[in-house]
Amino acid sequence: MSRGVAMTSQPASKRGRISWFLLFPTLAILAVVIGWPLINLILLSFQEFGRAQIFGAPPEFVGLGNYQKILGDEAFWRVMQRSVIFAAVNVVATMTLGTLVAILMQHMVKPMRYVVQAGLLVAWAMPQLTAVIVWGWMFNTQYGVLNYLITEITGVDFIGHSWLSNPLSFFAVATVIITWQSVPFVALTIYAGLTQIPKEMVEAALLDGASGWQRFWQLTAPLLRPIFTIVTILQIIWDLRVFTQIYALQGLGGLREETSTLGVYIYLTSLGSGEFGMGGAIAVIMVVVMAVISVYYVRRTLKDMDS
Amino acid sequence: MATRFKRLKLVLGILAGLVIFVMSVFPVYWMLNTAFTPNGYTRRSEPLLYPALFTWENFQTVLFDEEQTPFWPALMNSLSVTLITVVFALLFAFLSALALARFKFMGRKTMIVVLLFIQMIPGEAMIVSLYRQLDSWQLLNSVIGLSLVYVATVLPFTIWMLRGFVVGVPEELEEAAMIDGCTRMQAFRKVTFPLLAPGLVATGVFGFIQAWNEFLLALVVNSRPEAMTLPVWLRTYQQVTNETDWAAIMAGSTLMTLPVLIFFIIVQSRMTSGLVAGAVKG
Amino acid sequence: MRKSSLIASMGIVALTLAGCQATESADSGGSTNTDTDTSASAEVTGDIRVWINGGDTPDEAREYLISTFEEMHPGSTLTIEQQDWGGLVEKLTTSMSGSDSPDLVEIGNTWAPGFTASGAFTDLSASFDELGGADLLPGFVEVGTYDGVFYAPPYYAGSRLIFYSKSDYEAAGLSVPTTLEEYVENAETLNAELGTSGVYFPGKDWYNALPYVWENGGEVAVWADGSWDAQLSSDASIAGLELVKRAMDSSNAAKDGDEAESWVAYCEGGHSMLSAPSWAAGLLVPRDDAPCERSADDLGVFALPGASGGAAQVFAGGSNLAIPKNSQNQELALSAMKIMLSPEFQTIMGNAGLVPALTSLGSTLGTGEIPEAVAAAAAASKLTPASPQWADVEAAGILQDLFVKIATGEDIATAAADADAAMEAILNG
Repeated sequence: MSRGVAMTSQPASKRGRISWFLLFPTLAILAVVIGWPLINLILLSFQEFGRAQIFGAPPEFVGLGNYQKILGDEAFWRVMQRSVIFAAVNVVATMTLGTLVAILMQHMVKPMRYVVQAGLLVAWAMPQLTAVIVWGWMFNTQYGVLNYLITEITGVDFIGHSWLSNPLSFFAVATVIITWQSVPFVALTIYAGLTQIPKEMVEAALLDGASGWQRFWQLTAPLLRPIFTIVTILQIIWDLRVFTQIYALQGLGGLREETSTLGVYIYLTSLGSGEFGMGGAIAVIMVVVMAVISVYYVRRTLKDMDS
Repeated sequence: MATRFKRLKLVLGILAGLVIFVMSVFPVYWMLNTAFTPNGYTRRSEPLLYPALFTWENFQTVLFDEEQTPFWPALMNSLSVTLITVVFALLFAFLSALALARFKFMGRKTMIVVLLFIQMIPGEAMIVSLYRQLDSWQLLNSVIGLSLVYVATVLPFTIWMLRGFVVGVPEELEEAAMIDGCTRMQAFRKVTFPLLAPGLVATGVFGFIQAWNEFLLALVVNSRPEAMTLPVWLRTYQQVTNETDWAAIMAGSTLMTLPVLIFFIIVQSRMTSGLVAGAVKG
Repeated sequence: MRKSSLIASMGIVALTLAGCQATESADSGGSTNTDTDTSASAEVTGDIRVWINGGDTPDEAREYLISTFEEMHPGSTLTIEQQDWGGLVEKLTTSMSGSDSPDLVEIGNTWAPGFTASGAFTDLSASFDELGGADLLPGFVEVGTYDGVFYAPPYYAGSRLIFYSKSDYEAAGLSVPTTLEEYVENAETLNAELGTSGVYFPGKDWYNALPYVWENGGEVAVWADGSWDAQLSSDASIAGLELVKRAMDSSNAAKDGDEAESWVAYCEGGHSMLSAPSWAAGLLVPRDDAPCERSADDLGVFALPGASGGAAQVFAGGSNLAIPKNSQNQELALSAMKIMLSPEFQTIMGNAGLVPALTSLGSTLGTGEIPEAVAAAAAASKLTPASPQWADVEAAGILQDLFVKIATGEDIATAAADADAAMEAILNG
């Protein structure tokens, strides 16, 4: 498909100029608000920077010292493992459920679709903190409605069951909360993508006698792939970086040591223990890990852009 | 045979829809239920499944709290910060998305990778640097300072989203319009923009949610009581009552969710009408 | 526009706007004028912010502070900003680091070494005598001094007492215990006979768990040969921890809950005994704004008994006051601090059940069951290791995690060893 008449009619330099002009405000803000602190962060990771330095003492350069300490720290590897597994579970759950819901929405009658859409929007609109608090309340050990319902329905006495003290259970709760909040976004985005599929193509496929499955895999999925890829990368990044939900949930119960994911771990190391240099190093490692994980998807996206 | 299949599909569709709806909405329902129940009745192992003892007292407690956690300033702060963020983020993101989607230029790919890369940086590690930077500009505890940071935080993703939408509007449509006699501007206005509208709305909604809900940065940067945003306010309130007044905490949560919901409702009709307006055929 | 020059210009923009941030922080300390020539303080006006934490400071004291201050300094105002203990270490770290710093802060005595060692506070050595001098609680003065420089005077000391329901005791046929072992047995009996919590003992409540360790001869951590040796896994400590487990087993409190607002649980009637700071006495009885299942007559109190009688070494609660170095109102802050350490203010604190910072005012606690218990407990109280890194241990929740593990039934020896390792990593790291 040719990129069209309009594009190539303009000389390359003019195109470049217009583009950078359009991009300027974005670049300016990003450079100032993110660029500088980022450079600072990287520098910090090579320094011994503690609370004393916050209050004026000069920091000491320790080269890769922080990195060595962290990579040799068992606690860090546990946090890393935890975070990766947690993110993986969440991404898979969210993407699967989200896609399912989107497809279901396509096949529903309009009124029902509106109802579902409304429901999804409500779940999506809920502020993360509020979601944690409300779900936490529903899972509350002594007065939570969940324990009550389980007791009533199954007859097994669940009142007083603490959902947060066992780390696995803690993460199950966290997964429920995060998935519950993320599915609407995925579902609605994919649904929007589905509606953008030109009707003619669908009709043509139907005329050709393609079954539902065939239509999905040969027509829908390929067209959806760019959206799918982007959404997946984003989910991966967000779920690895998760902070608010875990932090707030820890405030409600559970063991900090066994339930901290990378985001919370960095926060506790930097601000809690006052070890900013180490916090910085962890952050850098985290970004590198995420970059590595998402390389495949990024390559895909770039290729999609060229198609 | 076909009609039976259709009927089955209808029923299944409704069932599935209802299940999804209930699962999405139940926590919200529970929040409201608790918010309208007198606090004494919430601390029981047998909760009331619907607000049998309907009361406004929790909302009164929260709204008119004289002590330490005033609600109204927090609301105003959240509103201002969020609106400023959405406006500027949409504007900048739109321009950027245009550049990245429509124009081929040197450095385009790098730019895209950079945008993605930025989203990987954990905000938690940059907190102190950001704090000191804002401090040096005297922008701590201010609406502008926080908005500035939020716009930067929200931009990468909104650019991504908008770019996706712009790409989804094939250039051929614009060209077809131009062949029909429109200038590029007119083609853009008449053809592309209407198709982009749902995308802009969706992106705006997303930006709104991000800014409204953001917790950590607001907690650290706008820590003064008069400068707090709603998430910080809710957390403070939760700590102050220390989870002994769940009904009030639920009332507070409701208040925090309400503006977003209202915004959503207003915007949802736009979104769906945008989708219905559909693609303009050449 | 060429790409390279664009990038260059953006770089310049970024650097310019980012300002000389690195160098600025070194001298962004405002005036570190600690001259005690504050008799002329009325010349300087300002609006100062005082951070007070939790529920300990009574309303009467707060009003006294504000009105006295504003009388002394017409044109200036004093605002008390209420802080919650949770997440406060982080908040203090960021807020005190810049120009937006509060002017006077209350810090937990266990955090004082952490902050004084980082140079967060203004040197108050010159004002030592004016603030109370030798009359100030010595243990707290020690904790507020670093490297010979005095930074943070005591604010008040609190000791935890055991409150109990007399009627529950009667129903179970028990009398006030005289040893720690008896106390735990009482708790178990109450739980078995009455079904209530023998003692309200949430999992994260390390403040109330440490005395068990100390009374059995164990220690949290000891400074030896230039480093900290965490000793929670010593035999003596483990004996104490096992006693903690018994007490926790007799409790219906959440195994992963914390000890805040413990009086609410007590008032609901599900717990027979409660260990709480002395000033909580006023909250354990029916009040206008808060109903209580237990009546005032029913409330008994005693100091936690030691392993061999007498009062146990309990956790020495309490706070210090300090002026952040970056506060923009050094003189006014110092004046406010003096008001808070004045005999009038401290008397109000004493009357409310808080041990005053001025030892000469010990009598303000009054006479009666509670003050006697307070005095006994305070005399025997003990502090956490005086290390600058102790605040980090608290922020990392190591002790909380340890006791939650014990409460949920995990192996005590392993949990203690883990806690020791974690503590040593932080204290020596």
